Amino acid sequence: MVKKYIILAFLPLLAVFLQSTLFHHFSIKGSIPDMVLILVVFYALFRGGRRGTLYGLLCGLLEDLYMGHFIGVNMLAKGFTGYILGRAQGTVFKENLWVGIIAVVAGTLINSLVVAVLLLANGSMLELEVAYSILYQCLYNLLLAGPIYLWYYYSIYDRLFRMTGES
Amino acid sequence: MLGNKWFWLVFLVVIGALITMNQTSLPREDITMLEKVVHGVYTPLQNGVNNIRGHWGNLGDLLSDKRAMQSRIQELEQRNAQMAIDNQALREYEAQAKRLQNILQFKEDNLDIYDLQVAAIIARSPNNWHKTVLINVGANAGIEPGMPVIHPDGLVGRISRVNSDSAQVSLITDREMAVGVILQRSRETNGIVEGTGSSHLLRMNNIPYYSSIEENDRVITSGLSANYPKGIDVGIVSKVNREPSGLLLSAEVKPAVDFDRLEEVLVITNYHPPIVEDDEEMGE
Repeated sequence: MVKKYIILAFLPLLAVFLQSTLFHHFSIKGSIPDMVLILVVFYALFRGGRRGTLYGLLCGLLEDLYMGHFIGVNMLAKGFTGYILGRAQGTVFKENLWVGIIAVVAGTLINSLVVAVLLLANGSMLELEVAYSILYQCLYNLLLAGPIYLWYYYSIYDRLFRMTGES
Repeated sequence: MLGNKWFWLVFLVVIGALITMNQTSLPREDITMLEKVVHGVYTPLQNGVNNIRGHWGNLGDLLSDKRAMQSRIQELEQRNAQMAIDNQALREYEAQAKRLQNILQFKEDNLDIYDLQVAAIIARSPNNWHKTVLINVGANAGIEPGMPVIHPDGLVGRISRVNSDSAQVSLITDREMAVGVILQRSRETNGIVEGTGSSHLLRMNNIPYYSSIEENDRVITSGLSANYPKGIDVGIVSKVNREPSGLLLSAEVKPAVDFDRLEEVLVITNYHPPIVEDDEEMGE
């Protein structure tokens, strides 16, 4: 039980670390993937809206504290994404890999939209370049989604996070 | 719904987040304990990765083709010789400029009077919304928020957040950044260069329609925005656009620094912005 929470806490920490270092060497047109978001999407998809929201809020907060700028933007965006995709839990056929991949693309778009709205509301200016970077990020997340989804799926049914039923 | 504990919890979190978002939208002098903890965990790891990368680079040099290295050395030697000659000519100009400045009793700030602190980039922004880098020197090395950061190629940005052993640099390509600039050739056009969020594109705004701005004009800092010393390379004009109103032009500027490949930067530790005589507040 404790091990499960340690892994759940460790994964976003590792993702932020990779996003701030390694991924920049493999960026597509300067865009890097959002692995933290992928983790939130999968967690929400398997565990439902309530837990998805909470995990999204905490993961987003970590990223916000790291950036130290507009603290709360990523927190709300990832929390909301977790909530929306968590609503799909129980209604989708999770054995299908495409469900995971489509969920990640939808999650990336929802997350980007919320971030953009919050930044605009706080007086930030957004240019057209932002749209391109969101598209490239969708593409990159799409590439990562498959392998991470498979790993996640088998981990759940194997040993890592034993399902105890969603509340 | 209103009797639901869960609903109220989320409601409070949302309100709290909206408030902190607003409070942290502008640069801050000090950072919170939580942020220090997060950076305290990450900085040693990022430093470690950076060191390993450095060693790997050396290993790569050993294994790489000797002949390619030889021709590269030759090429660099040639360039070095050319630069030495250019330097001689420039030194002549410098002496001449100083003489003339003395005659005119003209006090100009020059790049060679600044103290520079070398810093290595150990990490970058973990998302695409902000363009920042993390450098391996912080408050312990005398770094303070607001210090300008440069590179031999040109302007990089300024220090936005300082920790004990690391500091965050907001790059000029960040959407929140603005730099006061002039054109090196004509010295007439005062404009503002803003980041677009892309590493290869800056935008220069508020150029009057009668300006003589052209493609390939070099853009340098004007010293008017008080955040940066005068005369640092910012980029080269790649395209001039007419605004729909017809009264103003805007230009696309290609940054002088290759931000995707940046590995080391220089922090100017003793730059003091010129004192403003009247009580007017200076903007960004």
